[in-house]
Amino acid sequence: MKRRLLAGVFFVTFLFSASAAEAPPQLKPFERGSWQDILRSHAGRPTIVHFWGVTCGPCKVELPLLGEFMRDHSAIDVVTISADLVPDLPGATQAMLEKSGLRAAENWIFGDGFVERLRFEIDPAWQGDIPRTMLISREGTITTIEGSAETKDLQKWSDQQLAATR
Amino acid sequence: MIGVPNRTGKAMLRGKVFAAFAFALWQTCAYGQMDHQHASEAACDETVLRCASKVTPAFSPDGTLWLAWMAGGQVSVASSKDAGHSFSTPVLVTKERLNLDWGPDARPKIVVDRNGGIALAFSTFRDKAFNGQVLYTRSTDGGRSFAELRPITASNESQRFEALALDADGSVFAAWLDKRNRVPAQHKYEGAGLYFASSNDGGATYSEARMVKDNTCECCRLGVAFAGPGRPVVVFRNIFDGGVRDHAITTFADPATPGDVHRVSQDDWQIAACPHHGPSLSISNAGTYHVTWYTNGKARKGLFYARSQDGGRTFSNPLPVGRPDRSPSRPNVIAGPHGTAIVWKEFDGEKTTVNLMTSHDDGLTWSKPAAVAETTDTSDHPLLVSNGQSVFLSWMTKADGYRIQPIEGAP
Repeated sequence: MKRRLLAGVFFVTFLFSASAAEAPPQLKPFERGSWQDILRSHAGRPTIVHFWGVTCGPCKVELPLLGEFMRDHSAIDVVTISADLVPDLPGATQAMLEKSGLRAAENWIFGDGFVERLRFEIDPAWQGDIPRTMLISREGTITTIEGSAETKDLQKWSDQQLAATR
Repeated sequence: MIGVPNRTGKAMLRGKVFAAFAFALWQTCAYGQMDHQHASEAACDETVLRCASKVTPAFSPDGTLWLAWMAGGQVSVASSKDAGHSFSTPVLVTKERLNLDWGPDARPKIVVDRNGGIALAFSTFRDKAFNGQVLYTRSTDGGRSFAELRPITASNESQRFEALALDADGSVFAAWLDKRNRVPAQHKYEGAGLYFASSNDGGATYSEARMVKDNTCECCRLGVAFAGPGRPVVVFRNIFDGGVRDHAITTFADPATPGDVHRVSQDDWQIAACPHHGPSLSISNAGTYHVTWYTNGKARKGLFYARSQDGGRTFSNPLPVGRPDRSPSRPNVIAGPHGTAIVWKEFDGEKTTVNLMTSHDDGLTWSKPAAVAETTDTSDHPLLVSNGQSVFLSWMTKADGYRIQPIEGAP
């Protein structure tokens, strides 16, 4: 009985996994506590967290550059968080990420209308201006770049991070 | 001894299986919830006031309170003869659900003239690239019906962040941010142009759009007031040399002639980003300009207030507003009949408060801030509005609905 139950659970889990494997990577809803989840899950790895939004002009210019950077830097974790105010537009967000070569990044989208609270958890001083990039070192030190980040600055930081591991 | 680890192992396996199953289910549910109401700024998705994400108040000269709001993808209007205790049956301005500009600094604009004529404008996203279009309409039957929506300019480039203001002679002044100059696209174009037009027929038609200044910040609301009849004043986030997005102001010589652009303050906020956090302007009967704004510059960070007594050519030293550790935001200033008031939002990690400070010497000195309203979910910007005798706080909140309350102790 137990075996049959387990087999059933495995089968259903397999079905979910199979459908998940075929579907494009989904946007994760960024909600209360998500920021700590991100910090926890990337602890010990140099991570770039990029805040952007589909309606933000400078973001449209920067996003493909981040896609290129990710392609060339497999040792750096890249996380994107769409921080446009709701209503969220998961379709447009996903399309823009894919077009920018960020399909394989860890992609989140604000999923709580109370954006003040989401932003407060990330940085109480942040009023929502985007783009915004947070560079999180292996030791957890966070460097914030307000506005568009220059690829050369990301490169410099990335080189420092990788040099520190050698 | 051997049996214990075995049982533990089975339990762990079962735990893992169930965890995987639960995770798969959670993922499906979590993504399904993306469209649900908790992710929205609004409490519901109908067109009624309770479901509004943005509510804009305006008093007409006869003392009637008018509200224009965005809810359920449409714009509606209602009025109140008893300062907000009860409202007329709402009238839809839009005929169908539109892709309304839902940016943080977007909201419908409404002005009501002394004959009861209503001019109204708002922005929509006109395409999938989020290019905007400013649409306008008017009512000549006391808000019972509204004319067909029309674009405020024939340009097909992006326009957003319109502002409307009623001149002393009843004409309507409109200003907005306009990206027409980014075409042709061969050259690098920063920001958006600040454009304006005016209507001498109560908002039925607007003059041809003209530019005040090119390359201003493209994503912040404008502040508009009058320095006198026929003399609109616009405060906006400019892009100064080196990509510095500090505030600037211009006073028109007449409704068709913008004046020089002066800097409100040297905040030195060099940033290529969308702050979505525009300024606010009010001008007292004595002619003092009152400006509030947000910056994150090298020189200063946070909310600030400054005043000008020379027609916006020079401003006082910026006065910090709000508690820096409480994420102060969305300042709004009004020069009321009995003084000047500023409201803004603060957030303590759990709840948002609206804080108020007042001045009875035209902005020279200010009272200590006091919290006058609070809510525990998302909220619209707090706005101050005057009926000529009193000043009211108008605030839409998701959890507690719409409120309009007199500011105690007047300004």
